[in-house]
Amino acid sequence: MNKDQALQLIETARKEGRKTLSEYEAKQVLAAWGIPVTREVLVEDRAALAGALNAIGFPLVMKGCAAEIAHKTEKNLVRVDIRGEAEAVAAFDEIMAGLDGKGGVLVQEMIGGRRELVMGLTRDPQFGACVMFGLGGIFTEILKDISFRKAPLERHDAMEMMGDIKGHKILEAVRGMPAADTGTLADMLIRIGQIGVEIEAVAEIDLNPVILDGARPVAVDALIVVQ
Amino acid sequence: MAPATPHTSPIDFERIFHPKRIAIVGVSQEGLGFGAGIFVSLRLIGFEGEIFLVNPKGGDLNGEPIHRSVEEIPRAIDFAIIAVAARAVPEVLEACRLKGAAGAEIFSSGFKELGTAEGIALEEEIVRVAARGIRVIGPNCFGIYCPRSGLTVLPGPDLSRETGPVAFSSQSGGMAVDFANAGKSVGLKFSKVVSFGNGCDLRETELLDYFRDDPETGLVAMYIEGIRDGDAFFESLRRTTARKPVIVNKGGLSAAGRRAVQSHTASMGGSREIWQSILRQANAVQVGDMGEMVQACLAFSLLPRRTYHNITVLGGGGALGVAAADLAESFGVQIPAFEPDLAGRIDELLPKPGSSPGNPVDVANPFVPPKTLKAIMRLAAGDPRIDLQIFTSLLHHYKNMAMLTGRPIKAVTPYLELADDIHEVAAETGKPIVVILSNPKSGPDHLDVVDMFVDARRAFIERGIPVFAELRDALRAIGHLNAYYERKS
Repeated sequence: MNKDQALQLIETARKEGRKTLSEYEAKQVLAAWGIPVTREVLVEDRAALAGALNAIGFPLVMKGCAAEIAHKTEKNLVRVDIRGEAEAVAAFDEIMAGLDGKGGVLVQEMIGGRRELVMGLTRDPQFGACVMFGLGGIFTEILKDISFRKAPLERHDAMEMMGDIKGHKILEAVRGMPAADTGTLADMLIRIGQIGVEIEAVAEIDLNPVILDGARPVAVDALIVVQ
Repeated sequence: MAPATPHTSPIDFERIFHPKRIAIVGVSQEGLGFGAGIFVSLRLIGFEGEIFLVNPKGGDLNGEPIHRSVEEIPRAIDFAIIAVAARAVPEVLEACRLKGAAGAEIFSSGFKELGTAEGIALEEEIVRVAARGIRVIGPNCFGIYCPRSGLTVLPGPDLSRETGPVAFSSQSGGMAVDFANAGKSVGLKFSKVVSFGNGCDLRETELLDYFRDDPETGLVAMYIEGIRDGDAFFESLRRTTARKPVIVNKGGLSAAGRRAVQSHTASMGGSREIWQSILRQANAVQVGDMGEMVQACLAFSLLPRRTYHNITVLGGGGALGVAAADLAESFGVQIPAFEPDLAGRIDELLPKPGSSPGNPVDVANPFVPPKTLKAIMRLAAGDPRIDLQIFTSLLHHYKNMAMLTGRPIKAVTPYLELADDIHEVAAETGKPIVVILSNPKSGPDHLDVVDMFVDARRAFIERGIPVFAELRDALRAIGHLNAYYERKS
């Protein structure tokens, strides 16, 4: 998907009166701005599942995917570490049943990595589009170890905001894990800011978690709120 | 809110801050209202320009004739001070504009701050008049204090006429007056202080733009509640910090969660988090209250413009060593231990027992003669790692000596000699010395000690030595200095 198609996707969602894009749509928008996201296939029909499993490869993750669902984990719509076809088919049926007929199942590569970060975009009433960086996953809300920068970000801003969080050492080589690719992380932050500056219709973005797969950051879950 | 008038030339600002002829509109012959109050204040502080008073009733005030209208003023004016009822303000402002005023400060209240339709309409009327070519400070403010010209805020008859590097802009009038007074007490010198109240025309960003280019201003302090235009403010802030320090106290910070939002990002981005990040991004120094702002201004205006990472702490006081090291670390400052050779030479000068020659240097005895302290500070400055020294005084102990000898405390306390010595060592070594003057004896039994401390503080300040009440205050201010100069490109 290119930027024009991404804009079209957002426009369509707005016309339909939706407040959010689905995870699958959000990631396509992010990818159009060059932000690394998980490889994934949206499967709405059981017949298409086998092809998707082939394309992504085991082990993989399956998630319920529809425009208006947030908190997929709480709603029991996420299955991780699926290792075979039978398991995948069972998971597909369970998730589809939980979705009440809306949306489909996202078949997604499983990113191995113990370091989880969060990135996002908010629109401050005074300063406009601001980009967030911080510790991700379950720590986001517990520790609130975050920093912001007003968009557009310069590379210097992106590098500095990563250093601003208390837990910034998570980006260094630690416990046998390599140092994070901060160049790519900085690019991601800059590009989130660009989306904020370029697309007025995007109100908020969450990339949570962004997992460090070795050194390489990948957005594993994403939310885009439109206005 | 209507936009500010787009262009003001430096000449206009020159006439606003250093007016030669001003009008005070709305002086009453009875009592000290705002108009009469500012007139008396301007006379007391010694404003040298011409002052024309206006009140429809005429008459005179302290021998100065009162004109019945602005039109009756016989000369063109540079600046106007307006203290009439809100409803009369737009017309008076227009008359002042026609009289040639480049700007006006409006003390009157009864505008947007009321939230009434009439108040809002009146303020919009002021903005329309301003757009025709007169810049407005206020309404609902205490105006301008400029030591060089002798303009003063209301009420500011006793502020200093000594000009200096600190500019301050404040939405709150009380904050402006308190800051000017607090600054005077600790030796801050101001270029300009502006209380802009409702800020219907000139406010944070326009003033910041002016202060950036103002040769009288070396650093800018701001008290902010709300801002008119976030993008313009951010841009102005960034451009200003590239040239001079900007210290910001943002009032009314709220935690996140007020707005209805769906993402983690938006729910965690309350004004507290965003302001903190924005100020850091622009390399402004954020302070939490007025005390911290005064201290930061003191450090920025008195210490040479660089970073100070390694310091000595000399003197005495409870748990000096432990407390100092802990505090320093939390503000990113180190107190490195001296090499054994240097520690040995310092030890030879120290009284025994109880002293400790490392770093911090605990002199143990409060009556160590200034001559000895001077020799120690000179030796300590010889450590090439050291950037700055802090001397923590124990002057209050001289009360005991005063009682034992039956002499007044000022006669037995060698603060003048100490101030001279500290000044000399700092000048000769090129390493600034900061003094901590904390006085545990400040109750009604110890007014002589309090009085002596006032004199001692003045002696240090007159020699350009920064004085703080607590070690913590000094270290925090030095931490701000380091953060700013490290990131200034």
